[in-house]
Amino acid sequence: MASLSLRRERIISEHDAVGCIADGMTIAIGEPHPMALVRHIIRRGLRNLTVIGSGLALDILIAAGCVRKVISYYAGGGYWVPVAPAFRRAAEAGLIEVWECEEGILTSGLEAAGKGLPFLPWRGGVGTSLPQVNPDLKVFSDPINGETLIAVPAIIPDVTLLHAAESDAYGNVRHCGGPGWIDLFLHRAARRTIVQVEKVISNEEIRSNPWATTINSGVDICRMPYGAHPFYSRGYYVQDKPLVAEYFSAANVGGAELGHFLDTYCREPQSHAEYLTAIGIKRLLDLHEY
Amino acid sequence: MNTEIPVEQTQSCSVQEIMAVFLARDLVDGEQLQVGVGLPVPEAAVRLAHLMHGPNMELIFLGARMNVAHLDSIPLPQFGWDRRVVRWAESYSDTGHRFDHVNDWAKRVFFVGGIQVDPQGNTNLIGIGEDHRRLKFRGPGSVGTPTLTTHVGRYYIVLNTHTARTFVPKCDFISTVGWGDGDPNARSKLGLPGGGPRYCVTPLCVMDFTESPKRLRLRSVHPGVCVDEVRDHTGFDLVIPDEVPITALPTPAELTVLRERVDPGGLLRSPN
Repeated sequence: MASLSLRRERIISEHDAVGCIADGMTIAIGEPHPMALVRHIIRRGLRNLTVIGSGLALDILIAAGCVRKVISYYAGGGYWVPVAPAFRRAAEAGLIEVWECEEGILTSGLEAAGKGLPFLPWRGGVGTSLPQVNPDLKVFSDPINGETLIAVPAIIPDVTLLHAAESDAYGNVRHCGGPGWIDLFLHRAARRTIVQVEKVISNEEIRSNPWATTINSGVDICRMPYGAHPFYSRGYYVQDKPLVAEYFSAANVGGAELGHFLDTYCREPQSHAEYLTAIGIKRLLDLHEY
Repeated sequence: MNTEIPVEQTQSCSVQEIMAVFLARDLVDGEQLQVGVGLPVPEAAVRLAHLMHGPNMELIFLGARMNVAHLDSIPLPQFGWDRRVVRWAESYSDTGHRFDHVNDWAKRVFFVGGIQVDPQGNTNLIGIGEDHRRLKFRGPGSVGTPTLTTHVGRYYIVLNTHTARTFVPKCDFISTVGWGDGDPNARSKLGLPGGGPRYCVTPLCVMDFTESPKRLRLRSVHPGVCVDEVRDHTGFDLVIPDEVPITALPTPAELTVLRERVDPGGLLRSPN
């Protein structure tokens, strides 16, 4: 006999998605970047966030004054700039604290959280300055072989924000062609995960290939076509290079020019739909993959 | 010392092309070659080696692993996450799983940059300054370099500049351990299984390491560079042998493959 009551759908609005984030929380930003939700955070003017992230999403949140602490192994601008400009300025001015780490250390901390452990050991970073500049990393002698290792404490995001290809209404998520670069680690470590998706598909389609489901249940879904713009979304569109370049150029200058960029693209559009309208249909359609 | 190099020969290729060809020749067929983001010289070097003499090499970029020896051209990426870099991937690996098979890394080769390098080949991507909370220059962060350099069979330090501010007696912060305090056993004492740095390649020269203690030594100068210029641009006493050869020039065949199949856009010939 089927259940008498209906299964709860998990699709929420961008307003409700960002509404669960409060000043001072720890949020994690996946890759590809969930830029629509990032822009909404900036529009809301959230403050004192600890951000686990990298690249453009991290830098623009710092530029908008939302960030107090950064947990990142790489805050560069890829081929545009060696060091993300807002990150660099804020770090040098002492406006943000940097929880220094590296890829293996960050994923160890996230995995510890997902497994319910206080820490996991890691070798990469032994002999470096990382344990000195980040006192949360404890150098210890392992009880099995007596080797020198680093104990990485569990890293627990209050909210993880991801961008993926598709999902059904119940939060069964599919990334396009793979699980995303660090997304599953961020999800498993977090108290709550919100995934913005390019499109919502039927539950029957999910059931047709359960191996393709990368995140299974317990997450909320925001329907955000072109939501990673100006970043890429695998299977849908490539980066909007001129707009990314425009950001890094404005961020390098800072001040009014950066403020103008943030106003134009993040603060003035009152919704994701208004943002896409401002960008324009031609520009979006030109970002096909190959 | 360098007067015997014909002018027209040195003008026919750029110093970055010379660096890439030097690195390519040192790579062995069958190796796994991993390059991080934003390092055009090593990116060109691994492609050139793959096309010239390494049909069984595996190239690893951004978690994508590929063998593309069958392709006519494998152009350099023009921007971050250029899908053309990874569209030929045979497999992807997400960040948390890239380090799950380090017992297989003896044949893996890596390339690391740095904002500071010390005489023992320790490098710094964290920043410059005394106080980590108020750095004078904030670097991009360590990326995956601490773990990669811990485990790979060997790695190369490749820099875009060679100045006394880059080559310093002591790094303000260390993000990758080369030879630690210079003790040839420094790495094994720390429990770092990888083979450590082999060469340091800059726009001026190639350096290797003395045996004991481990210390950077001038190995060759690029055409048109004199030893005194290297000495003046290095912030510590570089070991300089009596005879310093000139870095070998690319052959016409190497230049043809490099320019037509790897770098048709001329990234290595454009000014820094």
